[in-house]
Amino acid sequence: MRISTVAMQRLAINSILNQQSELSRTQLQVSTGNRIINPSDDPLGTQRIMELDSTLERIGQFRENGELARVRLSLEDNALSNATDIIQRARELVVQGSNDTYTAQSRGLIATEIRQLADSLLETANSQNGQGEYLFSGFRSRTESFSRGSAGVVYNGDQGQRQLRVSESQQVADGDPGSRVFLEVPTGNGTFAVAAATTNTGGAVIVPGAVVDPAAYDGDDYQIQFTAADAFDIVDSGGAVVQSGTFTEGETIAFRGIAVRIDGPPDAGDSFNVNPSSYQDMFATLDAIATALENTGESAMARAQTRTALNAGLANLDQSIDRLVQMRTEVGSRLSMLETQDRANDEYQLQLETTRSDIRDLDFAEAVGRLNLQLTGLQAAQQTYTRVQGLSLFNFL
Amino acid sequence: MPDILNTSLTGLRAFQNALATTSHNIANVNTDGFSRQRVNFGTMPAQNVGVGYIGSGVQPQSITRIFDQYRVDSLRTNVSEEARLGAFNDLAGGIDGLLASPDSGLSQPLQDYFSALQTVADSPSSVSARQVAISQANVLSDRFSTLNTRLEDQNDQVNARLSQAVTQVNALAESVADLNLAIRDAQAAAGGAPPNDLLDQRDLVLQQLSEQIAIDVVDQGDAGMSVFVGNGQALVLGGDASQLTLAQCEFPSANPEVALLTATGTTMPLVGANGGEIGGLLDFRREMLDPTRNTLGQMAIGLTEVMNAQNRAGMDLDGNLGGDLFSVGTPVVTASTGNTGGGDVSVQVTSASGLTPSDYLLAYDGGSYTLTRLDTGATVPMTGSGTALDPFVADGLNLTVNAPSAAGDSFLIRPTNGAAGDFSVVLTDPRGIAAAVPIISAADLTNNTGTGSIAGDRVIDPTDPALLAPVTIEFLDAGNYSINGVGSFPYSADAPITANGWEVTISGAPDAGDVFTVTSNAGGVGDNRNAQALSDAFDGGIFSGGTVSIQERFESLVSQVATDTRRSGINLTAQTAITEQARTEQLSVSGVNLDEEAANMIRYQQAYQAIAQMIGVADTLFQTVLSVTRN
Repeated sequence: MRISTVAMQRLAINSILNQQSELSRTQLQVSTGNRIINPSDDPLGTQRIMELDSTLERIGQFRENGELARVRLSLEDNALSNATDIIQRARELVVQGSNDTYTAQSRGLIATEIRQLADSLLETANSQNGQGEYLFSGFRSRTESFSRGSAGVVYNGDQGQRQLRVSESQQVADGDPGSRVFLEVPTGNGTFAVAAATTNTGGAVIVPGAVVDPAAYDGDDYQIQFTAADAFDIVDSGGAVVQSGTFTEGETIAFRGIAVRIDGPPDAGDSFNVNPSSYQDMFATLDAIATALENTGESAMARAQTRTALNAGLANLDQSIDRLVQMRTEVGSRLSMLETQDRANDEYQLQLETTRSDIRDLDFAEAVGRLNLQLTGLQAAQQTYTRVQGLSLFNFL
Repeated sequence: MPDILNTSLTGLRAFQNALATTSHNIANVNTDGFSRQRVNFGTMPAQNVGVGYIGSGVQPQSITRIFDQYRVDSLRTNVSEEARLGAFNDLAGGIDGLLASPDSGLSQPLQDYFSALQTVADSPSSVSARQVAISQANVLSDRFSTLNTRLEDQNDQVNARLSQAVTQVNALAESVADLNLAIRDAQAAAGGAPPNDLLDQRDLVLQQLSEQIAIDVVDQGDAGMSVFVGNGQALVLGGDASQLTLAQCEFPSANPEVALLTATGTTMPLVGANGGEIGGLLDFRREMLDPTRNTLGQMAIGLTEVMNAQNRAGMDLDGNLGGDLFSVGTPVVTASTGNTGGGDVSVQVTSASGLTPSDYLLAYDGGSYTLTRLDTGATVPMTGSGTALDPFVADGLNLTVNAPSAAGDSFLIRPTNGAAGDFSVVLTDPRGIAAAVPIISAADLTNNTGTGSIAGDRVIDPTDPALLAPVTIEFLDAGNYSINGVGSFPYSADAPITANGWEVTISGAPDAGDVFTVTSNAGGVGDNRNAQALSDAFDGGIFSGGTVSIQERFESLVSQVATDTRRSGINLTAQTAITEQARTEQLSVSGVNLDEEAANMIRYQQAYQAIAQMIGVADTLFQTVLSVTRN
């Protein structure tokens, strides 16, 4: 083909220009370390990187949320541990105080300590986190959780429970409302509670019993009425006699799937109530125990009343401990879930970062090899140009 | 008897012409559009000397340029396409870099805003966490408006370049017309001999014209080359050139269009303008710039819609119901300047999930209205009757006809175009972020004996006047409940219970007499349920029927722009190679080769020297005769 002088020059120059532009691109890649300079270099890769960036940012945020939840749950765990210690101590004191050899004065001292423990418990229940939020106020986190009024300790919070997002699919509660921790404690043995009628005159004391056949227990209110010192009727809420029996001291009375025991001699006309468990808050339990210890008498009747109250208190304290242990278990399982999640996030993060690096980052070995090749190519193009352009028939005229 | 001297003189003259043409070729080796020229020789009439004919020398018959019309045409078409792709690619690269850059793109601020919402959910009672969320919202809205401004700048740049290109087209069209006349005159003056350099010049001007806009060239013989643009509108007819202009055509709010100035001074839109710089600019504006701006607007509208709705469904730090977080631009409706009726149409966006990033045309044919999507050209079916009470509904829009139109009237509707520019944060008080749900449900702990629990508090209608009024749900028996002591509703575990604009769920087995309450959550400053809902709403599906989140919408926009840019880049590279090939082919016929000219120069020089020797011979012959007579 015939080549014109201008076309020949254009070809040579275009080749040099193209090589220079390729070279400058490689240079930019090497100096930034990025394979993709503009999104149009790799639209699919760009979109992938944006997705990965976004997922990584989210994981980062979820990890922060998880860390915050961990700190708050640790604080709660501390408070629960404190509360458990307090209730344990109260329980020890009650066991001591139940001893008949204790005088009214020493029981008074125990009562004082119990009241101090109640104050400590109140303080613990009003714990705050580093941001000044009350741990046990539910959503009303800027309101003091509990306060002491004329009718005892009242809860000022609500039943709200805040959830923090710790992964795309998982939320974790960063606390528990005080209503659940300190208020919602069942009385008695958790199924039913026993009590002596205030009109009792005998020295009999009812001991918290147990459920022997859950299927047979129907949760009705029952009363054990002593028709004589050695005979009783069990009456249900409708007034119907369910069962009658002869009373032998220390013997278990079983009816409707439950068993209770009555110690000491009852008088005719005494009665004992067996009601389904209700709820009593820990502060009220401590108050009741202290009150019982403060009001002791020496008569058989008074002793029996104190014993009954202390028995009930002991049962309620056991329920309180159960509740606190249950809460600590829940908090612990949340903490361990957080740890598992954190490890999972760690792994996921690493995996995503590796993928992102594969897409985004430059393979330096390949790029530097390419750079050398392009340099050589450009040099060759330039040399060819000068050599070819030097040739002209006019040179030989 | 032929005369050696005269015969030699014809040779001298002919080779002088040839050498002059060779030097013209060499001199124009670098002249754009120059075609090499050649002197065509022929013999002089021979003389009959009785025994036969003796030639009487050489004469140049014509001086022609060497060219191939097909190659010239092919180069011109390719140059036009390359200019189109060049303009497109040049501008596309600007948007491509703009959207994905961490300094100007939306990706980072979107992620940061999500994180800020999560931070509020972490510590809803912390004013500083809320302040961060407000700040990040501002960063986000600033980024929207910055991007929108940059795109507006691009639009201005497109218009400025269009205006320049139109000016160029007008000047070049004038040149073509002038050259048509000059060539006709020169050809007539030279008895039909081609004015080679003028012809080259006209070809060059036509090529320059095609760099601005695609043209059809028709050779009309003596009248010269006529040039047509668009769908066959005449730009040059012989010696007459029309003018293009940039004019606001049918809709004042739309971008200016390329139009033809008619003889009466009115403008007529140039339908089908394509190719060249103008074609590239128009393609870019239609295929990339407008869709990108509209998509940004769509995103801003969607974000405003879901975030405002969720914040209104919550309660702020002071126990008040939440208000709006963002505000955004509203659809722009423009009546055609050709409308004859007093029609008035207003448009509202009702749902981002149905909204598209397209512009629309609403046309009235005297009987009914037709809505056309401008990016696809598809007719969009509308429901409703167009009245205020029963507006036309289509693609997430409500269209209300406020005043009747005349047949043939039309309206341009741009729902999303300006929305991103007016996107801003209206909530300035960090306490106004509604992190809490306005109600809180509770079980009566001291009274309830069943296992029922209450949860799932959610506001359905924040405008319900009784929303915050306390409500008691009491179980009459295990299977029925009353609300505030009224009625008896069958209980079904986990089924939502609604009242006063809210919804709660009771699960488990409540006993008769069990009581649940729903009360105002004022004071519940630690409640983060609505903050989580805000974060979920931001994160969830907003567009395309609720399947595409805002982050995904942005990612797909970046990806779309990147793909288009890449495609135009690849096309440009390919077209550049094709154009270069066409140029080389055209030059291989018409271009000057200096070696060839050097050879021609030697050839003609030698011939000239040889014929000059013949004059010497003639002289010798003459002297011989003279010396004989002298002797």
